[in-house]
Amino acid sequence: MTGLKVDREKCIGCGLCVKACVSHGLSMEKKKAVVNDHCTLCGICVDSCHVGAISLEKESVISDEQWKNSKGIWVFAQQKEGEILPVVYELLGKGRELADGKGCRLTALLGEAKEHGNTEKLIAAGADQVIVCRDSRLAEMDTEIYVKWICRQIQRFAPEIFLFGATGFGRALAPGVAVHMQTGLTADCTALEIDTKTGLLCQTRPAFGGNLMATIVCPNHRPQMATVWAGIMKAREPDPSRTGKVIETFLEEKDISRIQILKNLPAGVSDSITQASVLVVIGRGIGNKKNIPMMKELSELLGGRLGCSRPLVEAGWCEYKYQVGQTGSSVSPRLLLSIGVSGAVQHLAGINGAEKIIAINNDPKAPIFGISHYVVVGDCIEVVKALIRELSDIS
Amino acid sequence: MKSIVCMKAVPSTNQVRLDPVTHTICRDGRQAVVNPFDASALETAVGIKERLGGQVTVLSMGIPDTERLLRDALSRGADTGILLSDRAFAGADTLATSYSLSLGVKEAGGYQMILCGKMAVDGDTAQIGPELAGVLEIPCVTDVCEILHLTDKEVQVKKGVDGGHQILKVKLPVLLTVEKDICMPRMPSIAGIRFGETGPVAVKGASELAADPMRIGLTGSPTQVIKTFTPKRQSESIPIPGTPGEQASQLAILCKEVSR
Amino acid sequence: MTKVRAFTSEFDEYRKDESRSVGQAESISFPENEEDVCHILKQLYKDKIPITLQGGRTGLAAAAVPGGGHVMNLSKMNQILGLRCNGGRYYIRVQPGVVLSALQKGIESKRLDTAAWTEEEQKVYEAFCQEPEHFFPTDPTETSACLGGMAACNASGARSYYYGAMRSHVTGLRVALSDGSMLCLRRGENFAKGRKMRLTKEEGGEICLELPLYQMPHTKNASGYYVCDDMDAIDLFIGSDGTLGVLTELELELLPLPAVIWGISCFFRKEKDAIAFTKKVRKEIGQAAAIEFFDEGAIEILRRQKARSTAFSSLLDVDAWVDCCIYVELHCESQAEALDTLYRLGEILEAAGGKETETWVARNANDREQQQFFRHAVPESTNMLIDERKKIDSVITKLGADMSVPDEYLDEVVEMYRRSLKEYDLESATWGHIGNNHLHVNILPRDGEDYRKGKELYAIWAKAVTKMGGAVSAEHGVGKLKRAFLEVMYGRKHMIEMARLKRQLDPYFILGRGNLFPSTILEEGEGKEK
Repeated sequence: MTGLKVDREKCIGCGLCVKACVSHGLSMEKKKAVVNDHCTLCGICVDSCHVGAISLEKESVISDEQWKNSKGIWVFAQQKEGEILPVVYELLGKGRELADGKGCRLTALLGEAKEHGNTEKLIAAGADQVIVCRDSRLAEMDTEIYVKWICRQIQRFAPEIFLFGATGFGRALAPGVAVHMQTGLTADCTALEIDTKTGLLCQTRPAFGGNLMATIVCPNHRPQMATVWAGIMKAREPDPSRTGKVIETFLEEKDISRIQILKNLPAGVSDSITQASVLVVIGRGIGNKKNIPMMKELSELLGGRLGCSRPLVEAGWCEYKYQVGQTGSSVSPRLLLSIGVSGAVQHLAGINGAEKIIAINNDPKAPIFGISHYVVVGDCIEVVKALIRELSDIS
Repeated sequence: MKSIVCMKAVPSTNQVRLDPVTHTICRDGRQAVVNPFDASALETAVGIKERLGGQVTVLSMGIPDTERLLRDALSRGADTGILLSDRAFAGADTLATSYSLSLGVKEAGGYQMILCGKMAVDGDTAQIGPELAGVLEIPCVTDVCEILHLTDKEVQVKKGVDGGHQILKVKLPVLLTVEKDICMPRMPSIAGIRFGETGPVAVKGASELAADPMRIGLTGSPTQVIKTFTPKRQSESIPIPGTPGEQASQLAILCKEVSR
Repeated sequence: MTKVRAFTSEFDEYRKDESRSVGQAESISFPENEEDVCHILKQLYKDKIPITLQGGRTGLAAAAVPGGGHVMNLSKMNQILGLRCNGGRYYIRVQPGVVLSALQKGIESKRLDTAAWTEEEQKVYEAFCQEPEHFFPTDPTETSACLGGMAACNASGARSYYYGAMRSHVTGLRVALSDGSMLCLRRGENFAKGRKMRLTKEEGGEICLELPLYQMPHTKNASGYYVCDDMDAIDLFIGSDGTLGVLTELELELLPLPAVIWGISCFFRKEKDAIAFTKKVRKEIGQAAAIEFFDEGAIEILRRQKARSTAFSSLLDVDAWVDCCIYVELHCESQAEALDTLYRLGEILEAAGGKETETWVARNANDREQQQFFRHAVPESTNMLIDERKKIDSVITKLGADMSVPDEYLDEVVEMYRRSLKEYDLESATWGHIGNNHLHVNILPRDGEDYRKGKELYAIWAKAVTKMGGAVSAEHGVGKLKRAFLEVMYGRKHMIEMARLKRQLDPYFILGRGNLFPSTILEEGEGKEK
């Protein structure tokens, strides 16, 4: 039987589950929790129950024999103009740890237009083997071609786990593969662990607007797929003494894309906030759009750039290219001055790489303070005005 | 030009917060709203209809209350709505959802274009677009920020890619996922609201759509949530107290130190 | 220990308020509680040092601009002190420096810092958190205003059309007089007899007041002291422009938030149609909480600024044929009622010459925010334009009229504004609370000559509006900038009465010197008496 179950014996009628439900799917009847039609089976109530009276049950599906024997951890080695992206090395770092734990092989999947010396780099970074395909059709980041090639390899080699960097391309490619393989995909994971009891990959990601974390598993389908943002995992020190296998593969003649890329328009380098070593990030707490010029002045006095949190982009105060956070840019400056930012989980994930975080907010309970090195509780406008005065005097 | 717009009902942003005492989630009873990215997708489709003629169908999978949002879409220029609503659809992950939506697409009849918001603000996975396109076996272009040229045979779009933009061309039918900024959603007029209240919205259950029970809802979902918890906080923060002036003095010293 | 500090250049910004006038002062203080206020008052009373009171300095009439002496800035008194419940209604106690937006946020999100409250008040707070949403209905556009200042000028906003101005929502005041003595006033407890009022000081001792004899206009009014027969004593201090006492604590009534709030922007080709529509809505739509107007001049500035500044790039486009816009806000008990009212509004609109297709209806938070952004962009973009022109000729400043007339004079006053602006060949943008016949007619001077003509025109309007039985300042207060208009409205005799009233409470004219009337008014008027 599939569905949400309330154990009436265990239920103590405290009502916490009713409060937690976002869909009005639970109500109290005669001091017991009752599930109704509005329930969307999201599972949030399961954790809210302190006595374990709620469970989400699912019929177990008989899986394909082939998949029962799936083995190995794969990492998609996305490259750009011949250069492997940094996130790939981070994933290989994590993949190495997972593979060592499971006692299996770590494989990198590399598609490129021609040889660039990348197989050696991938092996040095931790891969035991590289499945490579060199074809001019792989020069452009075209999901149509990549999906075809990757799915063929999955069917051939039956990996157990497959990781992708959550780049723009990765976030379109991974679901394209997942739907073709009819398997599960968890996006934007902030943590990946193997459950020692079940051997399953536990994938943790932010949920419900970033206020919560959810841990997800894919018990009966393979490969278990996940995407991870850059700056979350740690790459290993490259070890050029490592050796590994290289398996060459090929595209088929009939692999043609339905999409025609007409032009590539690279963004201006100077604009990028991801390169800044000092970053001032502003949030809704600055109160008014009118205060932005003051913040810009501060960032200039500090020799840095200005970024913002998502609500400011949504409110039209700043352009998207300045957005810091998972759905914007992940940043890792030496100094990050966060002003009036409350700190939704996706935002925090995007600034995790900063060396020193100083946060100013008038709410002492703001989540941003949880990861800040220095906590300034106060009126951010007043503090910034005073700080500008101090910095102008010094210089 | 017949287009189908996929819409998702999401909690309005403040809805989920943590009760400071029990550390569990509490909702504040606010109504669900249309995912803002999908609102932009709808506006894009209506704009296309205004330029090239045709019809816009809005499609959603959700609880019965979602009909309200489909009617709101009608008030903003959509012509018909289809709501896939059934307990059997509940608990679906993106794979099960995209299969269910594909049934709705079939129900809507022929189409040249499917438009989806790039991602939902409550899930952020951005997976539905590519997965739905995969089920329908049509090409998918994600992160579209501008439609440059459109005929009833093909479309030329500008999309965001890592480190810039790309211009590409695809033959119809195609599925596009759009950025929120692609356009500004219009507000309904009084006349639009009159139409929205009475216009055609069909509600369909799993059996009416001949849904394969193994591919929908919780049963059809390869992934499942095993735990939800509040993110841990780091404990070592150094407070900087005082008046704004005093705090600023300290900060100035800190900033100089770190940026050296 | 003295909290009175020397007024060094560090405090330069405290020499001005939003009216853009600049003053000067010798000392300044930032009291943090009532005790501080009384202490400072007593200290300065010895030498009869004049004191100008300030809150957020968002005022438009220069009431907070000092003309020498001491500045007492109350912005540090920003605590929300407590909550009381009576008969299902909630009353919140605040210090005068609480900022409106902070109050609104705290009430609507039900997140108040109750750590310093009494146990009783904390219980009330817990009950409050279980209640459906509440709100504070006075909604001036400038939400960074402090509540003390709002009470001092009897502020209002778009929703005051339905809910009334600040005055209607103040149920308690603690007032410190110029000598540091305290008055505690509760609405409904102390009424004047005719025009004679008795006030009892907390320390003991009574003050018997002779109130001025003028009749106030029956329109939205923030001009001069509120006086009428048998009035409630608390009302004397509301709208007193910081001239009678320091408001050290306010108690405000909260209202339950209407279940459904919808905003409808209606676009018209002709101003006449918009006015006809306003009159009909006023008569027939009881659920209208606000009726607001933007004219062609205002919309044109919006269009221009949108094209030039990225700050307005997310503004919705207004079609080229649009001449003016009326915004109606509906507050209803249910979706069904709102829909029904919306349809009736649509019918009235069509009958008045508008079209149901040419409306924006905002029903959810997102759309309302968009619409709000649009409405606020009107005064913002006008201010931007004036700032640009000021760079060319520094004498240029915005000339914004704030006059209201009784309902039956709406057509006449609009006709007068239009005719005289054309006659004087002046550029203008008009917007405001048309539901109360209260329009902000802003003259946009192109040069010094325009500025001079504009001021002349305002004086003419003040006379005409007074004749129609209206008010020269409907919500901004008189401060220093509108003193001349106040005199037009009431005449010198009544101004002297006002000054005499003030003298009874503030014998040395310490508080808010220069607000409402010149400080020398009694010497001039009573020269012979001395």
